Amino acid sequence: MIHADRLSKVFGSYRALDNVSFEVNQGEVVGFLGPNGAGKSTTMRILTCFISPSSGGASVHGHDVFDDPLSVRRSLGYLPQRAPIYPDMTVWEYLEFVAKMRGLDASTFRSRMKKIVEVCGLAQSLGKDIGTLSHGYRQRVGLGQALVHDPPILILDEPTSDLDPNEKAELIKYIQQIGKDRTILLSTHNLNEVEQACARAIIVSKGRVVADGALEDIRAKTGRVRYVVVVDEKNALKGSAPKDKEVRELLEKMKGVERVKEIPTDDRAHAFELAGEQDGDLRGQLFRAFVEKGWVLLELRRDAQKLEDVFHELTRSDERLARGYTDEDDDDDDDGDDDDGDDEEKKG
Amino acid sequence: MHTLYIAQRELKSYFTSPLAYVVICLTQLLLGVLFFMYRGGFWQVDRATLDRLFEYAPYGLCLLVIPVVTMRLIAEEKSTGTLEMLITLPVNDWEVVLGKYLGALGLVLILILTTVIYPIAMFVWPWNLGTIDWGPVKSGYLGLGLMSAAGTAIGLLISSVTRSQVIAFFVTFATLFGLVVLTGFAGDFANRAGVGTVVNFIGFQSHMTNFARGLIDTRSVVYFLSITIFSLMIAFRALESRKWK
Ligand SMILES: Nc1ncnc2c1ncn2[C@@H]1O[C@H](COP(=O)(O)OP(=O)(O)OP(=O)(O)O)[C@@H](O)[C@H]1O
Ligand SMILES: [Mg+2]
Repeated sequence: MIHADRLSKVFGSYRALDNVSFEVNQGEVVGFLGPNGAGKSTTMRILTCFISPSSGGASVHGHDVFDDPLSVRRSLGYLPQRAPIYPDMTVWEYLEFVAKMRGLDASTFRSRMKKIVEVCGLAQSLGKDIGTLSHGYRQRVGLGQALVHDPPILILDEPTSDLDPNEKAELIKYIQQIGKDRTILLSTHNLNEVEQACARAIIVSKGRVVADGALEDIRAKTGRVRYVVVVDEKNALKGSAPKDKEVRELLEKMKGVERVKEIPTDDRAHAFELAGEQDGDLRGQLFRAFVEKGWVLLELRRDAQKLEDVFHELTRSDERLARGYTDEDDDDDDDGDDDDGDDEEKKG
Repeated sequence: MHTLYIAQRELKSYFTSPLAYVVICLTQLLLGVLFFMYRGGFWQVDRATLDRLFEYAPYGLCLLVIPVVTMRLIAEEKSTGTLEMLITLPVNDWEVVLGKYLGALGLVLILILTTVIYPIAMFVWPWNLGTIDWGPVKSGYLGLGLMSAAGTAIGLLISSVTRSQVIAFFVTFATLFGLVVLTGFAGDFANRAGVGTVVNFIGFQSHMTNFARGLIDTRSVVYFLSITIFSLMIAFRALESRKWK
């Protein structure tokens, strides 16, 4: 349904997209992920024929973006990032304008509006000027605009970024519901949403596709699993209650443990997150070690890696570049102190 | 159809902001001053004619109305990002350009039409100050319409190559100032040098004088129409060029 073939886009001397290829099939809801500036919006703009790729090609619903941009646009609903909409129109006027431009007749428009109002929660705002709406409501109008002609393909650029949790949930529910027989490409920074709504994700970083596949496969991509260990901070079976440093030391020394990270809890427990090989299982070993020390284990869990961890892993080079690191030193925090020697206060 | 929807939306948006009203009121006020006070007012010209109107209207239109009306056309859509929403609807780029153009031209023409009040009030009803030769009046208005078509197209073109409304305003103002005022001066000098006709032909005024005299010169019509078409074509290219930047 959506087919991108070795897309590249160069802005001046900056290569925003570099050989991006992917495919989205009918009935798929695909999460399009990547750090800021990775090229998600640029890709979507190419797919909606707003801009052209510097090289490569793409087709949507069987129509080529170069040869037949009008058919491409007809077959899709598109919500650009930040939903830029004319502020001087009312919500109803704007949606009516879009419907007319999309060739909907008045009665179809009215019947579609019932659904739109329900899904986007616009009942109270139809008569308001868009310029006076809050950001979240503007985004809802943008969504309404993308859904008004009930398109077979939806391209949504961060559709939930400004929505409140209720509307987010409503939208995700709707996407799940209509996603069964439609094709949806959805960019977002909220990985929970992806886990809820999408079966597949594409992760881009610095203009390249770094992962593309079913969520399970992506989670397994790092070859690790995640353990969560929670230890009682106040009591112990023998000896004194453990300090967080002691627990960390024990965990770090243990064979097979790759990364130890303390996670926040209340003041009754220490909680740690560990990474281990996908094939092994450290739970027995962990339990024995704690029993030997006489510490009280409150929780011990082995999960698949969270999508978030995989995301960090796959886009780390991007992240490091953005923060100005050049070598491998992870803990280096170069918060340069700003020199503001010129601003001397003069007292009379 | 798309073109008309866009034009309609554009025209309507002028009237949701104070802009349209301000421009219309200001124009009426200036015209009133011009007619009744400046250089002894209309009454000093002891013939029943609208020469005064056609002499000064080009200045008002080109130096105030057209720059103000056209500055936002595409520049604003670019800077607020609404262009992306508009263009990713199933429309052709030329429909966007033409629709916006017609919307703006519509406002300018509405404005020109409101000035018809003056000749009607003076020569038809409620005063009947004598008989007026309607020939020059009609051709004069045709001239104003054609000139506005050209000026608005130039304004649209300039608005399509920048994202700043302020820049769009000043560049349009300067361009039209050149075409209306400078070529007038230059024409005088050039006359002495014997190339006056060329310079005069480039400026708006020589054509407008003909129209005001009741002369519909095909060359003038072609002149304004070619400026219009040429500007619209470049504006279309400019809009299209976003794809390749
Ligand atoms: N018109 C443009 N001119 C120059 N550079 C651009 C232009 N549009 C995008 N870029 C650059 O291309 C890169 C990718 O931008 P893009 O908007 O696609 O990122 P993104 O993945 O959508 O990021 P975000 O999560 O912040 O929305 C960025 O580095 C951006 O600065
Ligand atoms: Mg983006």
